[in-house]
Amino acid sequence: MICTACSCLCDDIELEDGKILNACERGYKHISEYRQNRAKNSVNGKEVDLDKAIEAAAEILKSASSPVIYGMDTITVEAQKLAIKIAEKLGGYIDDNSSFCLGEFVEAILKKEVPSATLDQVRDYAYVIIYWGTNVYRSLPRHMSKYTYYPRGAKRNRGYDEDRFLVVIDIRKSEIAKLAKKNAKFIKVENDVELVESFLKAVEGKASKYDVGGVIREMKRADFNVVFGGLGLKYGLKGNYGLFFEFIRKMNEITPLYFLPSGFHSNMRGFNETLFEIVGAVNKFSFSEKKSDKAFEFSELLRRNAIDAALIIGTDPVSSLPYDVSRNLMAVKKITIDPKNTLTASISEVSIRSALSGIESGGEMVRSDGVRQKLRPIEKTEYDDVYILKKILEGL
Amino acid sequence: MPLTPMDIYKLLPKTNCKKCGEQTCMSFAFKLLNREKKLEDCRPLFEEKKYEVQLKKLKEILKPLEKATETGLIVNSDKCNGCGNCIVVCPVHVEKDPQGAGSGRGPTISDPIYRIENGKLVIKNMHACRRYGKSRILCVVCRENCPTDAISFLEG
Repeated sequence: MICTACSCLCDDIELEDGKILNACERGYKHISEYRQNRAKNSVNGKEVDLDKAIEAAAEILKSASSPVIYGMDTITVEAQKLAIKIAEKLGGYIDDNSSFCLGEFVEAILKKEVPSATLDQVRDYAYVIIYWGTNVYRSLPRHMSKYTYYPRGAKRNRGYDEDRFLVVIDIRKSEIAKLAKKNAKFIKVENDVELVESFLKAVEGKASKYDVGGVIREMKRADFNVVFGGLGLKYGLKGNYGLFFEFIRKMNEITPLYFLPSGFHSNMRGFNETLFEIVGAVNKFSFSEKKSDKAFEFSELLRRNAIDAALIIGTDPVSSLPYDVSRNLMAVKKITIDPKNTLTASISEVSIRSALSGIESGGEMVRSDGVRQKLRPIEKTEYDDVYILKKILEGL
Repeated sequence: MPLTPMDIYKLLPKTNCKKCGEQTCMSFAFKLLNREKKLEDCRPLFEEKKYEVQLKKLKEILKPLEKATETGLIVNSDKCNGCGNCIVVCPVHVEKDPQGAGSGRGPTISDPIYRIENGKLVIKNMHACRRYGKSRILCVVCRENCPTDAISFLEG
């Protein structure tokens, strides 16, 4: 089966004698505990059957003047398309977690502002591998062992200590920074913008605050290098994305350097790609104003009290957003579609229980590098996200 | 801190009495660490009362030996998160299973040394390890690439 715990979408998970093989701890918990803490179909706290809950959800959305659809990072592409259709029909807002996650990076890749590659190409060809502001040991545990630094690839078959050069850039000595030993470099960064400037100066042969000349020299030796950018990079750049992409483009004049985002939910890139195909923006989009804007970010909408109903799918804003923002949810009518009984589901006017994508329902998901994976569920249930969203769409 | 033969030697009687069959207490300490000898082979330690405190300490420091495999490997499951670095870097896996474990996937051979079961590292077949047997070498690649030091060896 394919594990849907994170955006690695590991495809070699096996079930044998009641044991889950090859999955990391995060994946194991995701798969083994899928029956625990399940959500219930309820309206105003009272348990009802699925049809009643769907009816109530459609009713709330119909009577809302400014609804928002939010989440969708853990559901399949098929379900995401339906959710976008609902937003379109309502003329509402649509946003996912990528607006405060790595949406900007995915957008740059989809708009072809920076060159990108697939993880399989990274495994086969990459020499210099830079992890910038991301500790994949915690967020994507098998990233290094399955796709990047450790595996032997077609053109890189002599192992990590000879055929790869690892660079870890972080503000602290993270777990993966400890792995930067031989043929590797750990750069302790205080200011990401200054480090990008140092790189740009080093390209011209000038010295600056950070000593990165060695990394550039190593990159010049190879015909395939890659940067993985995480949330540390995004927030470290303080909005100067252009400068960073400029650095990638400048490097590409000398030696091929690809960029890939690393982190996020299982199908966040899927949502970004699906919305991009339909409207040309990756997130925070308003169908009534037909544009994407920072003001349409879910947390911004909440802060401004600009919405009166929210359809929250497969995410838990009460837990993940700051209290200052999430407390405004109390004034909004909430419909939650989630397999698990999250905090948000427990305070929602309508809670609908759905199936866990990848375990109970099939479909398609997009890995962090844009490769599409067909899920292979171990169970099959009729009432998955696609069924629920289709019914809500019909009810509008 | 890894256990060294010197740590053991310091607590032995240091009389070189040869009752254990070894020429010196130092060589007995070495064999004790390699588990070719047992602590009980040192008879004076148990028979003479003056060694009582030393015996207690020895038993304490030799406790990790019971948990370790024949190759001196100890896996601390609490620290492991199943990232699988150890499986992919293992030279034996790369040789026997180049398309599976060697390429980053889960092992496809029937008797891998390691495997991730239920999100934790499990030792399946110690006999394939390069540290096993008479012509062993002190390979530490898996330990070197464990980000949380969940893997350790007796010798350090």
